[in-house]
Amino acid sequence: MSAIKSYATTKVSKSIWALTGILIGLFLLTSFIDHYFFSIPSVGVTLQLAAPLGLMAAGQTICMLTGGIDLSLAMIATGAAFILSVKSSSGLASGLLWATVFCLVVGSINGLAVGLLGMNPLIMTLGMNAVLIGVFTVGVTTFLKGSSTMPDVIVTASSGTFLFDPFSWPVVIWAVIGGIFLFMLNKTGLGRLIYAIGDNAQAARLAGVKVWQVQWATYVICALLGGIGGVLIGGQSGAVAISLANPFLLPSVAAVVIGGTSIMGGLGNYTGTIMGTLILTVLSYLLATINSSEAVKQMIYGAIVLVLAWTYAKISQNS
Amino acid sequence: MNLVQLKRQSWNIGIIVLALVLGLWRINQLPQFGAYEARTFVLGILPIALLSMGQAIIIIGGGINLAIGAEAVLINCLSAKFMLNTSFTTSVLLAVFFLVVAAAIGALTGWIISTSGIADIVVTLATSFLLVGVAMFVMPQPGGGVNQKFSDFVAGKDPNFIPPLIWLILPLLIIWIPLYRSRLGISMYAIGSNKDAAFLSGVNVNRTRIKLYAVGGLFAGLSGIVLTGITLSSSPFANISNTATLNAVAGAVLGGVSLAGGVGGLVGPALAALILYFIPNILLAYGIDPSYSQIITGALTILVVLLGGFLRRRTGKK
Repeated sequence: MSAIKSYATTKVSKSIWALTGILIGLFLLTSFIDHYFFSIPSVGVTLQLAAPLGLMAAGQTICMLTGGIDLSLAMIATGAAFILSVKSSSGLASGLLWATVFCLVVGSINGLAVGLLGMNPLIMTLGMNAVLIGVFTVGVTTFLKGSSTMPDVIVTASSGTFLFDPFSWPVVIWAVIGGIFLFMLNKTGLGRLIYAIGDNAQAARLAGVKVWQVQWATYVICALLGGIGGVLIGGQSGAVAISLANPFLLPSVAAVVIGGTSIMGGLGNYTGTIMGTLILTVLSYLLATINSSEAVKQMIYGAIVLVLAWTYAKISQNS
Repeated sequence: MNLVQLKRQSWNIGIIVLALVLGLWRINQLPQFGAYEARTFVLGILPIALLSMGQAIIIIGGGINLAIGAEAVLINCLSAKFMLNTSFTTSVLLAVFFLVVAAAIGALTGWIISTSGIADIVVTLATSFLLVGVAMFVMPQPGGGVNQKFSDFVAGKDPNFIPPLIWLILPLLIIWIPLYRSRLGISMYAIGSNKDAAFLSGVNVNRTRIKLYAVGGLFAGLSGIVLTGITLSSSPFANISNTATLNAVAGAVLGGVSLAGGVGGLVGPALAALILYFIPNILLAYGIDPSYSQIITGALTILVVLLGGFLRRRTGKK
């Protein structure tokens, strides 16, 4: 076990250097095109924009480590932001409570369907995504009628400055939750079990692991992280709409894949995902400075994600 | 037909019975049933049936294509843009050309998956963004059109439901049956059930996969062109491509294709599209709000896959 573990860590740490190289290269390229980018404040803004994606990608990381995937993550994020904005009219606490309950319920349905009923995670979450889109489309005109603006506290928490300039509240939130998440993944029993069932679910089950409980926990944690990410996205854009977090679905998967976590499970780490998140955030800044249409942006983004994932696959095969 | 054959066909027989029951239920809801209603049925299922067949071929070969809906949307936009105000002959030639384009896109997807070693889910999730981006670039707004004669050729003149029925059955006859009986067909089942064993028995896994994605792309292209013929327009939207992909997976699974690969055929998915078409329509006829249709589609997919898994486990298949 320790031999395998150390083999995995050396492989990951080697590719971390490659990822850092790509990040620095992209950063310099962006600075070359837009001179204002090469400054402390814009690093702060980049980190602030990276925070929601970093949290959503954390959820995606553990799903993929167990050999699954959560394609309903963007709609969970949108849903949490939606519920928070509407229910906050009767107090922030009730808004937060309802949003948390929503994440717990959706995460539990996903996790129990995958764990207990043996559903294919891809289909389960793809179907859940469609169901959630439908629920919120209906909800806007019925049970979720009301204000679509975010409460001020959330706006501050997702874009306000913390102490002095390059630091902002979302980065602090990302750092705290990310830190707890890293500890959970690397140092606790649950973290070990997530790797174990991703590596070989059959062996883990025979060794006495209750696989379905681990999967349940995984999808619930994923949904909660997605919900927090969604609330931050909502706070940054000020108001919520049904397509709020949709543009974050591919990046949340891409950040994990670029960061070197295998979609087959059992291999990878959150540090890689953080690098992937930063790379993708700088990339979308770069695409925004080129100032092209939504269509062109989507094309370039899809293509670059493919190229980065490919590059990573080649690097890790060679090392 | 002896007992063994009957058992092998049990899934398809189940689908046929279910489709018949639901079909009769739906017909019962309508004030009358004639050629016009029959045409509505066939047009309603045709694009999704073709897409499900394309997805089924890829899943049987052990893969999955999350960009199959995006491929259809792209071909829909391309054909609606370039076929506008053209003669019938030009339209047909353009249709053939776009089918080749669709197959090439599929082949390219397969090639990327084979060469890069990235998981098919990741590759096709990325290409789905890429292809919808291209579609939005081609047609920034919904619109376009097609020669009226070409539309009649694909969708039939109003009460005539024979042309769309032919377009549903013809691909089965001229693409699926030859494929099923060919070397490629055997390789498809082989790499779907056990890639390593197939490789060791001398199957060229990568080349087979590329060919399967190309055939899948061809079906997606057919679906896109048929959509243009039916709607006389294009819709460059990501949510349409996502719903189409979801329906294609649901159709394939309901049609008896195992997500584990190596099991199933194309007749099942074609019939399954009927069921996927009937259920929301039957429910909507009971006065349910149309905005619930997405919830119904999503929940139905989950139920279908769940039920399929249970039945497989009970009958001892994988």
